[in-house]
Amino acid sequence: MSANRLTQTEASLNPESPDLVTVKIDGIEVKVPKNENIIESAKRVGIDIPFFCYHPRLSKGDAANCRMCLVDVSMPRKNPDGSVVLAKMPKPQTACTLPAADGMVIETESEQVVKDRRGVLEFLLINHPLDCPICDRGGECPLQNNTLFYGPPTSRYIEEKRHFPKAYPLSDYVVFDRERCIHCARCTRFTEDISGDSQLGFLKRGADMEVGTFAQTAYKSKFSGNVIELCPVGALLSRTYRFKARPWDLHTQRSVCSKCSNGCNIKIDYRLNELQRVNARLNEEVNEEWTCDKGKFGHEYVSSADRLQRPMLKRNGQFVPIDWTQAYDLIVEKLRAAGPNVGGIGGQRCTNEDNYLFQKLFREVLKSNNIDSRLGRYQGPTDQPLYARFGYHGMGNAIADLENMKTIFVLGSDLVDEQPIIFLRVRKAWRFKGAHVVNAVTYIEEDTTRVGDFAEVEMIYKPGTEIALLNGLLNVLFAEKLLPENPTADLSALQKGVADWTPDRAGQETGVSADAIRQAARLLANGPMAILAGATVTEHPQYTDIAAALGNLIVATGNVGNLNIPGLECNTQGAMDMGVLPDCGPGYRPLDAPGMSTQQMLQAAANGQLQALWIVGAKLVEKYFDPDLARRALENCPFVVVNELTLTETARLADLVLPVASVAEKDGTYTNCERRIQRIYKAFDISPEIKPDWLVFAEVAAQMARSTPYFSARDILRDIAANVPIYAGITPRNLGESGIRWHYPGTEAKQG
Amino acid sequence: MTTSPASPVAGGPNEPQPAPEKEQRFSAQAIAELEEIASHYPERKAACLPGLWIAQREYGGSLTPAAIQEVADRLGLSYAEVEGVATFYTMYNLRPRGKHHLEVCTCLTCAVKGAYDVVHKLEHELGVEVGGTTADGAFTLSEVECLDFCGAATVMQVGDKYFTNLTPDNVMELIETLRNSDDYTPAKLADAIVKIHIPGTSRTGGGSYKP
Amino acid sequence: MAILNLLFEHRDVPNIEEIDVYEQHGGYAGLRRAILLERQAVVDEIKTSGLRGRGGAGFPTWIKWNGLPKNYDKPHYVICNADEGEPGTYKDRELMLKLAHLLVEGMIIAGYATYSKKGYIYIRGEYVEPAWQVRKAIDQAYEKGYLGKNILGVEGFDYDLYIHLGAGSYECGEESALMSSLMGERGNPRLKAPHAPLPVVEGVWKAPTLINNVETYCAATWILAHSGAEYAKYGTEKSKGSKIMSVSGHIARPANYEIELGTPLMELIEIAGGVTGGQLKAVIPGGSSVQIVPAEQCPNVNLDYESCQANGTLLGSGGFMVLNDKTDIVLLMKRTAEFYMHESCGKCTPCREGTRWMYKILDRITSGGGQPGDIDLLLDICGQIDGRSYCGLGDAAAWPIVAAIKRFRPEFEYWIEHKRSPVGPGHVPPTPEVLNPLLTLTPA
Ligand SMILES: Cc1cc2nc3c(=O)[nH]c(=O)nc-3n(C[C@H](O)[C@H](O)[C@H](O)COP(=O)(O)O)c2cc1C
Ligand code: SF4
Ligand code: FES
Repeated sequence: MSANRLTQTEASLNPESPDLVTVKIDGIEVKVPKNENIIESAKRVGIDIPFFCYHPRLSKGDAANCRMCLVDVSMPRKNPDGSVVLAKMPKPQTACTLPAADGMVIETESEQVVKDRRGVLEFLLINHPLDCPICDRGGECPLQNNTLFYGPPTSRYIEEKRHFPKAYPLSDYVVFDRERCIHCARCTRFTEDISGDSQLGFLKRGADMEVGTFAQTAYKSKFSGNVIELCPVGALLSRTYRFKARPWDLHTQRSVCSKCSNGCNIKIDYRLNELQRVNARLNEEVNEEWTCDKGKFGHEYVSSADRLQRPMLKRNGQFVPIDWTQAYDLIVEKLRAAGPNVGGIGGQRCTNEDNYLFQKLFREVLKSNNIDSRLGRYQGPTDQPLYARFGYHGMGNAIADLENMKTIFVLGSDLVDEQPIIFLRVRKAWRFKGAHVVNAVTYIEEDTTRVGDFAEVEMIYKPGTEIALLNGLLNVLFAEKLLPENPTADLSALQKGVADWTPDRAGQETGVSADAIRQAARLLANGPMAILAGATVTEHPQYTDIAAALGNLIVATGNVGNLNIPGLECNTQGAMDMGVLPDCGPGYRPLDAPGMSTQQMLQAAANGQLQALWIVGAKLVEKYFDPDLARRALENCPFVVVNELTLTETARLADLVLPVASVAEKDGTYTNCERRIQRIYKAFDISPEIKPDWLVFAEVAAQMARSTPYFSARDILRDIAANVPIYAGITPRNLGESGIRWHYPGTEAKQG
Repeated sequence: MTTSPASPVAGGPNEPQPAPEKEQRFSAQAIAELEEIASHYPERKAACLPGLWIAQREYGGSLTPAAIQEVADRLGLSYAEVEGVATFYTMYNLRPRGKHHLEVCTCLTCAVKGAYDVVHKLEHELGVEVGGTTADGAFTLSEVECLDFCGAATVMQVGDKYFTNLTPDNVMELIETLRNSDDYTPAKLADAIVKIHIPGTSRTGGGSYKP
Repeated sequence: MAILNLLFEHRDVPNIEEIDVYEQHGGYAGLRRAILLERQAVVDEIKTSGLRGRGGAGFPTWIKWNGLPKNYDKPHYVICNADEGEPGTYKDRELMLKLAHLLVEGMIIAGYATYSKKGYIYIRGEYVEPAWQVRKAIDQAYEKGYLGKNILGVEGFDYDLYIHLGAGSYECGEESALMSSLMGERGNPRLKAPHAPLPVVEGVWKAPTLINNVETYCAATWILAHSGAEYAKYGTEKSKGSKIMSVSGHIARPANYEIELGTPLMELIEIAGGVTGGQLKAVIPGGSSVQIVPAEQCPNVNLDYESCQANGTLLGSGGFMVLNDKTDIVLLMKRTAEFYMHESCGKCTPCREGTRWMYKILDRITSGGGQPGDIDLLLDICGQIDGRSYCGLGDAAAWPIVAAIKRFRPEFEYWIEHKRSPVGPGHVPPTPEVLNPLLTLTPA
């Protein structure tokens, strides 16, 4: 355990203490939570106190260093005779760390305070290069803004300024200009408090102090992009965005990250129909104000040069551009010919609207249930392994719920990589809320997963021995009577089942020390406890058994609803909700005649039993667990259509490739791993020849049968809300800024 | 997207360095000392300063990146943390020093009592500027802030000992005695400081200064 | 009022650093008496003695001792601030070198009074020789059963003492920075009241912590050995007892003198054998951080907290610097500014940027580049640091400069106007040019 844990009081988050105190700020009386930072209290009455180093999500430890937020403070003092007088503190105090106390009187505009602010800014600027004209931060720079409003008109500094090599590349993504740094310690605190890699730290001291990485090595972090937004000056900058635009020339569109299933809220900054950069967008329920580097730097593909501009038809081995009418005619002809022998694969990276029309086309027009969005190993019945038992698929908890767990058990997941934002929540629960974390990984992922850095117990097991491990844990829980008194289910059978799985036996099977298993079990006993299972589990041949064992653990410890097996792609959840499944229609409506699963379709195609395959944004040849099968399937299928952004390997094997819109070019909704439906907004068009997937399906459907026309994603959402019970009542408006988590019928729908 | 984007700053001497070689130079005794000292505190982290002293001794009087890395590994700290500490305190040598490190106090009292004359004398006689090391590697000359023995100005620290009441006239004979002495070296200083942390060492002593 | 050897009573006894000799001269009587008292009674002794912190702040010691929770529920820590770094001060050095047992005994007493089981002595890394003596004292105390388990047969009075050496940082003498350093971090100060709980509530490792200076603990030993009332007999009404003054500079017999608080400043100069090398020009009575006192004002000053304050200076840590008329105040202040620039931890803006700026201006002035506005600019900068910085170092950097300008302004003006020292040839400290060996020394 390297980083040391902070107590609640140290976390500069408002304590949810019920007792309020009255403070007076610039003459305005206001009731605020006891010990709230005065800087926050002032916001409540619309008073801005300038600051640099303060950040509500970072610990106070190294804060209060910039001194920009100094205010005059008086406290009531009792005289011996009982009378109360206001005593002014001799020194001004930093509002960013000053805890609100009853009767406190704050002045933020006194002559002295104004003078102090000017003084601090003069100090900050004497060694600042003032090269704003060539600084990417120019125009959105707290240092510029505070100087404008509170700074001195001129500088009296005529000595030589501090000099460092400019533009030092900390990593592939971040470039560092030491001369501009104002030593606010935001970046260093971020790496310690939030991302937890402690990669940035202060070196040297006094006026020579500088931010550095160890021995000038590269800044390795999955979350490095955030420090660019945290830095209140132009010291930490994005290499990908460097010198590309001025902030005031950028247009901003709200969106949702398409890189993983967590659904970070982002802002797409674009100019001249070209994506310039991605910034985080606040959503307390999901990503707070962070993104991972995949999300922040991974959207370049949107504006990459090799985006497909026209439909491409393969004529004797060569792709030639054709226009959409030709493309549609071809599709219609081939699909008609194919009849029921068609298959549709994909949709995990498309919007709900895309997926809804995708399955509608197949079920209502092509009259086929051969449609599946799942690309993982498990393609069995959808109500397995979780739904039949617990009544939900995927995640039981909301991401934010994880904060309030006493114990979190991460099993077989490279969490930072698979679920970056969930990783940050887990770490937050540990660092700021004192949760215990138990981590179990195979020795293959051992070094990559970062949960081990702070996990209280880490169990590194032989691949494939998950069940033995879980049995061992249950055994200890029973043996040491750590389970709740009156369990919701009858556990006697389970108890017998694991009776002979003593820690020692389980230890031998798994290669984990018996002690570790005992300790882990003891931690799991103090609830609320949540389980997070990752790809190692879902991709396991015995996935259902492991899930069952996890279910037993959850039931036995009385934590029903806290078992989480999140998906991986940005709309894995939504694709299933929309019924892109062989055995369920939209809203998991069971079908009496299930179609083929992805695996079955590929096998059928490989044996020449399918006449046409429609692949939608799925990198089969690249990503599918059986790539050769995928390849053979595409080669042996007479007609393959692929919706793609670029000519991927999969697309190359297609007969017809359709250029479709990226996340930045269409409206719609994604549903993230916690079932939160969130809107994405069209930012720009890069070519009229590129269409959103839903439009393609709609137009094909219109040509093949008489079907309701759709003119916009809104129309489709209206349709979904009307026909898919779990999405009942959803409208673009009530999705609002932070989206809505849908709940299974019966469980009441709560606003996200 | 892991490929380094073409950027005006890429390339040149101004690029991040490769991570330093991992070394394990701590002797069994050194590790024992570190563990003993770590046991004095409720948190291992507190052994960071002593740990760096041990490293400075084990790595021959100065702290290389590898040395810092080893301390970090042994105490379960992040590199940035430990390097931050190592660069904060002036007594850790981040560059190699001469066999003897002459640290002349030129702070207030010494300054008014002629410390600078002593410094010039040394600069001139040894042929080095302050901060430099003699060609033969025998001496490194430094000015330091107050050594707090102002009553005996001018004061000079060499290794683990203070030499006092120095003047331009008497300083050179001291230099000569130092020249052929193996005591008062940076390593001896580090060793003494490490030993002082450890109960019972006053009997055996350590470094050159015997209580 | 004059010399008053309470702590120094046995300083010159041969081998007093050996525990047997120390015991023969009443050593560990204070501890033996303390353990017969209720823990609260020990604190009350300190209270009646009127002892105030000798580390610089002069804060009433008993209030700290009284502040820790009075039980063994949580671990408490006793810390000795032996990071003596204040230019001009070397009293703690001598106390540790000769009277280490006095300190160790005092810390054991403090441990007893504050329900602590562990004590740390934070000694600056340069003090290897004194540290060895403390090491020896602790080892001997263990052998004699003054440290360890059930000390002197008192059930449950377990107490261990550890030494922790610094590695070169003045700032680590500031108590919160010292705690950071003790916990293995950079020597940055930590949040203080009202932004965070007091050390006695939440100090090192978030546990209640008592921190005092070496001399304070030594005095506590004496007080417990002789009673607080005895100690309170000495000194003035508000400043009780004795204080060790480290006399240095242009003085015949520089040394540590333990004097009764309230002794006239001039008398101490007498005792130390008078000014050498010229007339008295000024005195810095409490270490580099305190305001300089010009000769003409010296007769009004008595060496106690109140009188010093009344005369616009501080007793500080007792670093008593005597300066004769060969001293160039501007160059001295430049050197002072250099010290604080070098020792600033860099955490907060005013101290980090301000100290360097001050130095650069003074450096420019003393190399002949002075400009008319400079003096007022200096005063402004000091104003922007004093009271605005994160910890006391900023204040300590500003005070001496302000005082020097207020009290010796003509010298600054002379420098700016004539670009040379008002003192004339042979002034100390020398000017930067003189520092360049090529100019001064003819090759041998
Ligand atoms: C910049 C600075 C440096 C200090 N240096 C020392 C020091 O070297 N030794 C010391 O005992 N106190 C020093 N102090 C005072 C301590 O902060 C603290 O007041 C003292 O250790 C408390 O002990 P006392 O109550 O016995 O005086 C310093 C304070 C400041 C602001
Ligand atoms: S780089 Fe930016 S965030 Fe980091 S300390 Fe400097 S100013 Fe603050
Ligand atoms: S915001 Fe308060 S000190 Fe920086």
